[in-house]
Amino acid sequence: MGSDIAPMGIKGERDGIPISIDEINKLRKVASKARNNVIKMQFYDHSIHVGSSLSSIEILTALIFRYLRDSESKYDKDWLILSKGHAAPGLYAVLAEKGLIPEEELWKIQDISGLLQGHPEIFIPGIDMSTGSLGQGLSFGIGVATGIRMQGGKGKVYVIMGDGEQDEGEIWEAMTHAVTRKLDNLISFIEINNYQLDGSVDDIKPKHFLPDVWKAVGWRTLFCDGHDFASLIDTIEEAHKIREPVVIFAKTLRGKGFPVIENTKVQRASPDDARKYLINA
Amino acid sequence: MMQGSTLSMRDTLAQVLVELGEKDKDLVVMTADVGDSTRASKFKEKFNDRYFNVGISEQDLVNFAAGLSAVGKKPVVVNFAMFLMRAWEQIRNSISRMNLDVKLIVTHSGYSDSGDGSSHQALEDIALMRTLPNFSVVIPADSADIKRGLPKIISHKGPVYYRVGREYSPQITDKMDYEFEIGKSYVLKEGSDLTIIGAGVLLWDAMKAAEELERKGISAAVINLSSVKPIDEQTIEYYARKTGRIVTIEEHSVYGGVGSAVAEVVVRKYPVPMRFVGATTFGRSARSQRDLIDYYKVNYETVIKESLELMK
Repeated sequence: MGSDIAPMGIKGERDGIPISIDEINKLRKVASKARNNVIKMQFYDHSIHVGSSLSSIEILTALIFRYLRDSESKYDKDWLILSKGHAAPGLYAVLAEKGLIPEEELWKIQDISGLLQGHPEIFIPGIDMSTGSLGQGLSFGIGVATGIRMQGGKGKVYVIMGDGEQDEGEIWEAMTHAVTRKLDNLISFIEINNYQLDGSVDDIKPKHFLPDVWKAVGWRTLFCDGHDFASLIDTIEEAHKIREPVVIFAKTLRGKGFPVIENTKVQRASPDDARKYLINA
Repeated sequence: MMQGSTLSMRDTLAQVLVELGEKDKDLVVMTADVGDSTRASKFKEKFNDRYFNVGISEQDLVNFAAGLSAVGKKPVVVNFAMFLMRAWEQIRNSISRMNLDVKLIVTHSGYSDSGDGSSHQALEDIALMRTLPNFSVVIPADSADIKRGLPKIISHKGPVYYRVGREYSPQITDKMDYEFEIGKSYVLKEGSDLTIIGAGVLLWDAMKAAEELERKGISAAVINLSSVKPIDEQTIEYYARKTGRIVTIEEHSVYGGVGSAVAEVVVRKYPVPMRFVGATTFGRSARSQRDLIDYYKVNYETVIKESLELMK
């Protein structure tokens, strides 16, 4: 996305639970460990999507460590749907920090004897929807959010999408549908990292119009820095106060924190580069 | 044999869904702007808060249903067979892969949307749906079969593709007394020389062919293969052994449909000569479903012709 996008990092009102420096430092530590583990995972399997995973680490960490509530009832628990399923290694790494996935499973990712699939599957702890085929998470999230509301449940639904994913026609079907239902328990993230599989989004299919389109359709659009916890949490707090569907455009970097691939379409580095990074990490 | 007339397939469908909705408060019905054509909107008249029209958005419809199912509702998706296949990948990657308890009830299958022509006539859906893990594929023969089977379909745990037509519903099973069960086929007529296996409204043709063959001294059994998947291997094997010849008839492509499903069983269990009566290409517009069935020769005349060939 070009520079003509609405400014990122707009701060919300601060009447939610304020975040302390201590908590930010704690979240940073979790994110840093998860980031290193994603990079380490590529030693064991060279085909995982490292760049896309690193783009999502802070969003996943904020949601999993600060917001997601579990419950015996499907109507009262919060749901996390990774619609950009190829960022699964990032999700697994954060879930491992949370203790839901044994760390040793991370090194067996995509192995025939391992638990962790290339894309999320519901038989893996912490996974609420099997994804992998792009553009399907938001519709599913609308179904969950609608069911929760019918039942009077407390659950919230968080859907994480990529910017490339916005090319899918089903996204249009879903974004217009959510507004029709006036769902206020559905919060969507669109990571703006400017890359899709074949290259930069501007080269493949520009998306500078996205915030305008979502807004025009009837979504409340918020913006944040998807790697900065203060910005992320401020924005999520604001989203929670809004009584209609909210989409958060989160500016992120593909490959964030891993200089050899950062902000490029490259998904993974050579084992040598990964080793060098980890020695210094 | 008279074709007779009874409540149309889609009207019966709506009636039964409303009855089931009274009993089960978790039952939710959804469609994609074809509520009136499918008669799904009858459910809205009774249960407005449990009826969803998502607009002309089949992909969203499927994943919306998947989400409702994941959280604990019992979604029934009602749509045209053809246009639900637009979302086959969503059905595959969400409902099938997560084994969600979603019922896909399609109307306007086969040639039943006669006037609208080939764009609206689903002749490939059985093949597409029966490849999907976890899915059952069921085809009611007539309105009586819907009354008998639909409550069992809804109470079944797991995804089901239920293939219904439109107006045309010749009486086939209404005088018969049997309980429907997923995975079971039903013998509509006994016979010893050959077996005609079919599904849906064309079972009327299967029965008519069997009657005419009887007059020529050939004893033909007729089986209602309402459950295409899971398939009743036992009955198919029994009749392969008993009669030694099988003719299948379906309102669907002969590639991958009912006939193929039967053949997959026959070649493993007890190979016998088979003939396949069904569509081989797209349909076209016609004033009635019956005109198309006869125009494409997916009818009793072809069943008789193929049966006589097999008897040579």
